[in-house]
Amino acid sequence: MKEAEKKLLEMKNTSELMVDLAYSALLYDNRDIAKELVDLEDLVDHLYESIQRLALQSCSESADYDHSLILMKIADSIERIADGALDIADVVLRDIDIHPVMKKGLKESDVSILRVVVEENSYLHGKTLGDANFASESGFWVIAIRRGRDWIYGPDEDTTIDGGDVLFARGPKDSKILPWVKARKRVDK
Amino acid sequence: MDGDNLKKERIKKEIAEEHGEIPYEETTVRELITLMKDNTELITDLAYAAVAFDDKELAEEVRHLESEMDKMMYQIRLKCMLGARTLEHAEQLSGILQVASATEKISDAAEDMVRLLDMDIELRPILPHILKEADEKIYPIAIYPGSSMARRTIGELRIESHTGVRLIAIRRKNRWIFGPDSEDRLFENDIMIVRGVKEGYKELREAAHGDIPWKVVVG
Repeated sequence: MKEAEKKLLEMKNTSELMVDLAYSALLYDNRDIAKELVDLEDLVDHLYESIQRLALQSCSESADYDHSLILMKIADSIERIADGALDIADVVLRDIDIHPVMKKGLKESDVSILRVVVEENSYLHGKTLGDANFASESGFWVIAIRRGRDWIYGPDEDTTIDGGDVLFARGPKDSKILPWVKARKRVDK
Repeated sequence: MDGDNLKKERIKKEIAEEHGEIPYEETTVRELITLMKDNTELITDLAYAAVAFDDKELAEEVRHLESEMDKMMYQIRLKCMLGARTLEHAEQLSGILQVASATEKISDAAEDMVRLLDMDIELRPILPHILKEADEKIYPIAIYPGSSMARRTIGELRIESHTGVRLIAIRRKNRWIFGPDSEDRLFENDIMIVRGVKEGYKELREAAHGDIPWKVVVG
């Protein structure tokens, strides 16, 4: 059952990231972000299937019905949340102009999400998030990092940034974007 | 008992609204999109919190928000249909409807999650232990008398910019304030329900307990 719970945790993290990303894909009319969602939804589907399998297995082995039922119910909700996020991203992937009213509505929201690609030769390469100190400069907190095909959810101060990483950060409306622009360029310090 | 009666009243009102005609409201599509987006976030946070704390009141609020979402969905549908004049315009509006339906789907899923609390399951707490070990956790934090956070508005405190922790709800005696906004004020003995990473949480807790001062931004 431990394995199923681990997968459930990954599902939850992934679905939350997806919802955040979906809105920012829409706000910035950004196909790259929208495409990330297609892969993430695939991941969620696979996790869902293996949770169902593991939960059923555990029923036949130890009659652990309540526990299995809970896992499957929560996994089902998470799967639908991820699906909803993909539906939002789908609007970006179709070649239709996004209605200006939608962008205005999303801008009014309390929260914004940034997607920043760290350049290979960025001064950030090899630094930890703690060293980079974005949070206190900007109010934006890194919620996830994509490194190649791997995702790091909820990175902490000690997480090291590599050139080529894609950082996803969320912040309230009053956050400043400026320090983030630096992440994209080489800065001699 | 009072709370029970209030709840019954609200359910009655909601049933009446659900089966009666929903009036056309002068909310703009832009406002509806903002509300629906912010609600999807709040409703999923509250759903996890309800399951984590085994709290029926939080679950009740999830249901309430979900029915609000249904109403907003109806409003946005009406407005989009009234707005379509040309094919190009209709295409753009269909995008809006797709996004609105997606937010509705997400809030539906959140509502289903809190149904677990009403099921005949003896296992408690319902939320699998491992979800409590997640990097982002949901915590209750009390404001102790003497904390520099007391009597400040959420806007002055800027909790999320300072710590990355977000305030989902405030519990004040028997009352809940869900998704508090910048004008809401914190008081001594309030309990904040927050979610975020451990580092930000520690600082927030120390300030809430009055162990360290909180940097207040005024103006």
